[in-house]
Amino acid sequence: MSTRVLAKRRLVTLTLLRRESIGGLYHVLTFEDPDGSVALPGQFTMVRGAEWGDAPLLPRPMSYLSAGNTPSILIKVIGEGTLRMGRAEPGEPFTLLGPLGQPWRAPSAGRRVVLVAGGVGVAPLLFLARRLASAGGPKPLAVYGGRSARDLPLDDELAELTELHVTTEDGSKGTRGRVTDVLGELLAPDREVFTCGPDRMMAKVAELCAARDVPCEASLETPMACGYGVCLGCPVPTTDGAYVYACTQGPCIDARRVDWSRGDHAPKKGVHAPRSKP
Amino acid sequence: MSLLAVDVGGLTLKNPVLTASGCFGYGLEYDDFYDVAELGGICTKGLSLHPRAGNPPERICETPAGMLNAIGLANVGVEAFCRDKLPILRERGVTVVANIFASSVADFVAITERLNRETGVAAIELNVSCPNVTEGGIEFGKDARMAGEVTRAVRAATKLPVWVKMSPEAGNIVAVARACEEAGADALTAINTIRGMSIDVEQTKLRLANRTGGFSGPALRPIALRIVWEIAGAVAIPVIAIGGVSTTRDALEFLLAGARAVQVGTANFVDPSAAKRVLDGLRDYCEAKRVDVKSLIGSAR
Repeated sequence: MSTRVLAKRRLVTLTLLRRESIGGLYHVLTFEDPDGSVALPGQFTMVRGAEWGDAPLLPRPMSYLSAGNTPSILIKVIGEGTLRMGRAEPGEPFTLLGPLGQPWRAPSAGRRVVLVAGGVGVAPLLFLARRLASAGGPKPLAVYGGRSARDLPLDDELAELTELHVTTEDGSKGTRGRVTDVLGELLAPDREVFTCGPDRMMAKVAELCAARDVPCEASLETPMACGYGVCLGCPVPTTDGAYVYACTQGPCIDARRVDWSRGDHAPKKGVHAPRSKP
Repeated sequence: MSLLAVDVGGLTLKNPVLTASGCFGYGLEYDDFYDVAELGGICTKGLSLHPRAGNPPERICETPAGMLNAIGLANVGVEAFCRDKLPILRERGVTVVANIFASSVADFVAITERLNRETGVAAIELNVSCPNVTEGGIEFGKDARMAGEVTRAVRAATKLPVWVKMSPEAGNIVAVARACEEAGADALTAINTIRGMSIDVEQTKLRLANRTGGFSGPALRPIALRIVWEIAGAVAIPVIAIGGVSTTRDALEFLLAGARAVQVGTANFVDPSAAKRVLDGLRDYCEAKRVDVKSLIGSAR
């Protein structure tokens, strides 16, 4: 894998320009960056409220939804950090460290792009779709899935930029089922896949792509403390029995390199003793 | 001499602000942020005789005003460090403290002998207190006799200053500190992390694959301060403090308690320039009060 020369990383304190609540647990936070963020699609930033004090302590890794003078992120409220972000008011200062990590690789000439998104994982794919649209060329295909219609943040915008197939597990929107139920028919030999979503979804996407010999690039998500390669808290097992660090060797990586059996709910052999659940 | 210089067991540091092992990589990850040669020194990621891949994920989780980590001493090994990292650090004039880890006294000595062949290592810090590996590690640091034995062996193997990093989990940490002093340590570093745990109640399982992890961050500071105070009162050699230093005020607390220098750890994860901020603030403080930092050390005692 070639490592591109990436832009200098900066820690900047930016003002929140607006927070748009887009239904359910989802919000889009847009910041004001006078110097302009040069982040590429697929890169991420470590975000933290500048006035949080000592808790929550660590910044949160977030894919860029957009860059430039108004960089933005898509958040899903899942814990204390995102809860505060989901309540933030315009004018509030945040620190952003970025741009971090490996961006999506450039789509190959002659291959049609297929974006496969799960829930909040749509952010780096939507950023990519915008870049592809501004570069001209054929509209990418996209599959976007969630548990229900509520779990498809920014689906309208993705629909404008791509030829979109939507799936929901409860059938409340699009095809009932999962993204992998409809992906098969889109995997022609001259296509390539970019995917971001829950691990189990990406594992299945990677498996389908490998079986059809379709290139697949995945954006990894793991907990991390620093985001720039020193805490070593974000190892992802690879097929050669080693680890890659999601922060510097990812988050975007060739899906064939990843040992997807790690699955986010997979039992960790020899680590947790069996115990009865309450 | 500058307002900020301190003497740490025969080694003069240009200022008392260092970065803690495991929280600063090899010091080469900061080119975008600042010149790490400005710091009093950097303590490398713990180096072992052979490279180590580290523990399986999840390795980290956040706790109130702190975090747990169970990295498992993932590192490139002493050979790759000497070949790939040290020459660059040396070229840049970085004060390098090589933190080393082994599961036997013989391996501690072997790593030390490898480092002896290099120039550009200012001191060796013995990690006898890692809570996250099953072999060796903390077992050396909990027991005064064993800690003394490791210290004595490394002391005999090198002319470099030898620092020993104390475990807060020693039953009698003052006894361990005294044993290390007696065995010839030039300075003591206190404290390493304390083992903690966290459980995900939704998934009803432990958050860390290693079950336990080392607890660090601002929440640890009062405990670290108490231990630094106790050790500094019990030994004649310098004590270097670690434990939740995020700001200049935090560093001053430790200096006033008797620490000769401080190491910035977890704060680097929140802000890559944290140690530089602590240093700049300390310089401002000393200039504003027209004191040199040496006169502050232990002055709250």
